[in-house]
Amino acid sequence: MAPSFLFGQFMGGLTTAMFLFLIASGLSLVFGIMRVINFAHGSFYMIGAYLAWQIVHWVHPGGVGFWVAAIGAASGVALMGAVIERLFFRSLYGREELYQLLFTYALVLILGDAAKFLWGTQQLSVSTPAVLAGSVQIFGSTQPLYNLFIMAIGPAIAFGGWLVLNRSGVGRMVRAAQMDREMLDSLGANVGTIYTGMFVFSSFLAGLSGALVTPIQSIVPGMDVLIIVQAFIVVVIGGMGSFWGTFWGSVIYGEVLSFGILIFPGFSLFSVFALMAVILIVRPWGLFGRPL
Amino acid sequence: MRLRLQLGLLVAAAASLPFAAMAEDTIKIGFPIPLSGPTAVYGTPILKGAEMAVAEINAKGGVLGRKLELLTRDSKANADEAVRLSRELIIKDNVDFLAGTLTSAEAPAVSTVAKENKIVFLAPSSKSTILTDAQHIHPYIFRVASNTDVEGLAGATEMAQFKDVKTVVTIAPDYAYGRDSIAAFIKALKTLRPDIQVVDSQWPKLGEPDFTPFINAMSSKTPDAVYCSLFAGDFVTFVKQATPLGLFKAINNRLIDGGEVGTPDEAQALGADYPYGIIANSYDPVIWSGGNEPPEHQKFIADLKAFTKAQYASGWSIMGYEMIYALAEGVKKAGNTKSDDVSKALAGMSFDTPVGKRSFSAQSHETFAPEYWGVMAKDANYPFAIIKNPQPLPTSFPTN
Repeated sequence: MAPSFLFGQFMGGLTTAMFLFLIASGLSLVFGIMRVINFAHGSFYMIGAYLAWQIVHWVHPGGVGFWVAAIGAASGVALMGAVIERLFFRSLYGREELYQLLFTYALVLILGDAAKFLWGTQQLSVSTPAVLAGSVQIFGSTQPLYNLFIMAIGPAIAFGGWLVLNRSGVGRMVRAAQMDREMLDSLGANVGTIYTGMFVFSSFLAGLSGALVTPIQSIVPGMDVLIIVQAFIVVVIGGMGSFWGTFWGSVIYGEVLSFGILIFPGFSLFSVFALMAVILIVRPWGLFGRPL
Repeated sequence: MRLRLQLGLLVAAAASLPFAAMAEDTIKIGFPIPLSGPTAVYGTPILKGAEMAVAEINAKGGVLGRKLELLTRDSKANADEAVRLSRELIIKDNVDFLAGTLTSAEAPAVSTVAKENKIVFLAPSSKSTILTDAQHIHPYIFRVASNTDVEGLAGATEMAQFKDVKTVVTIAPDYAYGRDSIAAFIKALKTLRPDIQVVDSQWPKLGEPDFTPFINAMSSKTPDAVYCSLFAGDFVTFVKQATPLGLFKAINNRLIDGGEVGTPDEAQALGADYPYGIIANSYDPVIWSGGNEPPEHQKFIADLKAFTKAQYASGWSIMGYEMIYALAEGVKKAGNTKSDDVSKALAGMSFDTPVGKRSFSAQSHETFAPEYWGVMAKDANYPFAIIKNPQPLPTSFPTN
């Protein structure tokens, strides 16, 4: 096993990890911190991807158009999230989780059909923006520039999220709301606005990750369902309520997959479930979570 | 007396009227197929092909004087759903025949339903050999698609032409089709080129979002060529990730894919990012470069473009189209719509398709359909890759 190969495999694992973290980060916020079960998070991700393709289609493929499309798609999904939260989700907070699950599952079906209606069943693809289209050699292994870009964004989001949550006034409110929502309400804080803001931000992250993923993945109906289970698992093994937990959960998943397939060729099918089983047996509240 | 006779005749005539009306009833074909989710990308064009065939046949007066009617349902590529829909179509909708399903999970499940209910079922796309092998064959199942053994032989034939290739790696989705197609390829390659070694096999799951670890593992073995069974969205994702990793450069574009990634559908999805120079296949090349296009095919594509109102036709519609025409032929030959008679008529029967004659084997009910293979090349007339000089492979297949 040449060192350059091992390094390449390690970087490959990081790539997997950061792509998963992009979408799991928004879920970590909503599920991990707000304790809201948003099964439609994967659908927001998918709509973000389709919107990005649509905007690139309208604007200018390949150039600045891609970045415009990414921000535009994320904003579009954030807006959609705001509308959904204000109209429907508000009445579901504090209720039994089952209602949230049922409602968001219905959303999954509705959004899935809407995407099919608007964009058809054909797979779509967005080209990598020219500035990130090449690759570099690091320690004898080829690293695509776009993958390196994503590997940089992942930790940036994790650090930014942690910073806001733990070092800002808004973050303190969110953590307080998680601990005791009623108390915070009676203290005069506008809990409704806080929750809407967090939900909108989570939707923005979902839409952004969907858009950023389009240069290296195909846009297909069903991509919402394919990713959501992995995202949930990574949030759970990282520990609910911890952004860094989700981050390291993704990294562990990526590396376990990357090296696991060398030892055990059929590993990909159940790797994430095996990992979840092992971690939850050893540490039921997840890596960075707090025992209840 | 005479009055009674006349009255009797009148009553008899009146009584036979409802029977005459029933003869005008349509021949119902239950058609579960995925219309949502990642496999709808194939389900939808196959449905269109079937619909066009039904429209054409009905325009000519139908079969045995009766029009065909397609009862389409969304199976969501889920075997349980396909079974539930099939039972509903049989019991509630009283279909005469079943057709459709897409995946190799759905087709064998619906085949069991067809066997229990003794109703003829034609499968247009499932390639898994399990559908018609010795344990699962029964009088009512017929396959219009190719199967993984045929595909493996064709893929190996293409690989064998590279005289200087000594090592090959494979990559395929980890489920029945992926496993079967690779096994068939390796077996056929051993007989055609025993000097070639398969040094690695990668098994990403179906719908894998990130192939990077798998591509790295493959590249580390420095293979001369790659045999790939990824298809649809997975193939698009794989290409988008493999290209910046330098895979296609390293193997000189010697990648062969048996998962119908040579269709205009797939080529359009990738557009300019398509890895020109690889070898791919399609049931229908649609755009027939290099001459030799059968005139029936030209007409078929022109009609299909008009019917689907699309600029470029799909490479998948032909399977739905062939399936309906095969069924219609069988009903005509049997002279009625009773599944027992139609199944006897279909076994061993030849039927015409826009790309030549096909026939159902009398024993295994397979067509062993060849597909069209060739190098994917640029063409000034189209904004996407097309198959250069499509050739039907394999040229012959040992049938039972």
